[in-house]
Amino acid sequence: MASQYGKSRRSNAGNWFLHRITGTFLVFLLITHFWVQHYDDTTRSVVEQVVTEKGERPEYSEAAQKAVRAKFGADAEVTSYDVLMLRLADPVYAVLWKGFNILFLIAALHHGFYGLNNILTDYIRNPLNRKIATSLSWTAALVLLVIGVYSVIVAGWGYAP
Amino acid sequence: MELTAKIKRYNPEKDDAPHWETYEVPAEPDDSALSLLLYVKWHLDGTLTFRKSCAHGICGSDAMKINGENKLACSELVQDLVSGDGDTIKFAPLPAAPVIKDLVIDQSRFFEKYRAVKPWLMTEGPAPEREREQSPEEFDIIEDATKCIMCGACTHACPSTWSDPDYLGPAAMLKAYRYTFDTRDDGAEERLPVLDSDKGLWKCYTIFNCNQACPKDIDITRWLSALKRRSVTAA
Ligand code: SF4
Ligand code: FES
Repeated sequence: MASQYGKSRRSNAGNWFLHRITGTFLVFLLITHFWVQHYDDTTRSVVEQVVTEKGERPEYSEAAQKAVRAKFGADAEVTSYDVLMLRLADPVYAVLWKGFNILFLIAALHHGFYGLNNILTDYIRNPLNRKIATSLSWTAALVLLVIGVYSVIVAGWGYAP
Repeated sequence: MELTAKIKRYNPEKDDAPHWETYEVPAEPDDSALSLLLYVKWHLDGTLTFRKSCAHGICGSDAMKINGENKLACSELVQDLVSGDGDTIKFAPLPAAPVIKDLVIDQSRFFEKYRAVKPWLMTEGPAPEREREQSPEEFDIIEDATKCIMCGACTHACPSTWSDPDYLGPAAMLKAYRYTFDTRDDGAEERLPVLDSDKGLWKCYTIFNCNQACPKDIDITRWLSALKRRSVTAA
């Protein structure tokens, strides 16, 4: 009987290894993301706004209002969007945060889609269907990567409220 | 005590599908589960079919699903399976394999996977005059893996095998570990590419069912992880 367990044409060791690396990375990236985006003093207001009841004016931490008004004038309306864009508009911070977000994006996409691929190949046994499913899912990852990187790069670009 | 043995029966010449049958069997707490099956076969129904040979956990013939877990019938004591008189012990064939009759599965796929990993010593250069030596420390690396008796409990307990019966599975890959990490072996280059495939190592999600099933308490998942790391360095 001819064995189906010949030498494989393509190694998957790299993807498996990256899955470990991105997994470890994501723990730190996620903690940083949550802290900066939702709990940091200047942006805590975003959370506060979410919990503010409908119709009421959102509340902002003083630090957030001050930072936005310092940048856009004493009369500037302060919204959560402004606070986030402000960080991404700052030339020094932008490099840091855009780099961070792109790294975050790549790690999350690889980690998630490698996992999705494992599930797909667990259940799809027909080789042709397998090929189609894995190509489609990696294509989706690529599309999301392009959209994501584009949004990160243009976010806050020349932003004025 | 009196126990009920509930056995999944299947005779392909007569039955459309497997079905359960129950038998009342006398047993002592320190009897093995296998002795219940033998009692049924010798006294109640001679048509009951199952594999067994050594009855001492050496040959690996009688792995089956007992009370829902893959175990060796000869190595399980009745007292560890029931809490008292009148209790039931359930016997079924190993899952994820074609059933030939009753508790006997078709092992051809299992052994095809075994052969696929080239489970023999591969060496380079001329053969030495005397035996190929190995220090106790070098043997320690593979000692755990050499205890495998090829019973198949692990491979048929693995969810990756359940979803894809062609997955190489823990037993075959443990064998690959046993030879690849044997200090006298030079066959890694031939063996690793077989494992580094979509039927191999990467379908091991460290679920640990194999460890739990192994009657020899082999730390299978750990050795498969060592193989994964070796594959990454080799790739
Ligand atoms: S590793 Fe354990 S469970 Fe698997 S075949 Fe060997 S002895 Fe049986
Ligand atoms: S009969 Fe030999 S291992 Fe159980």
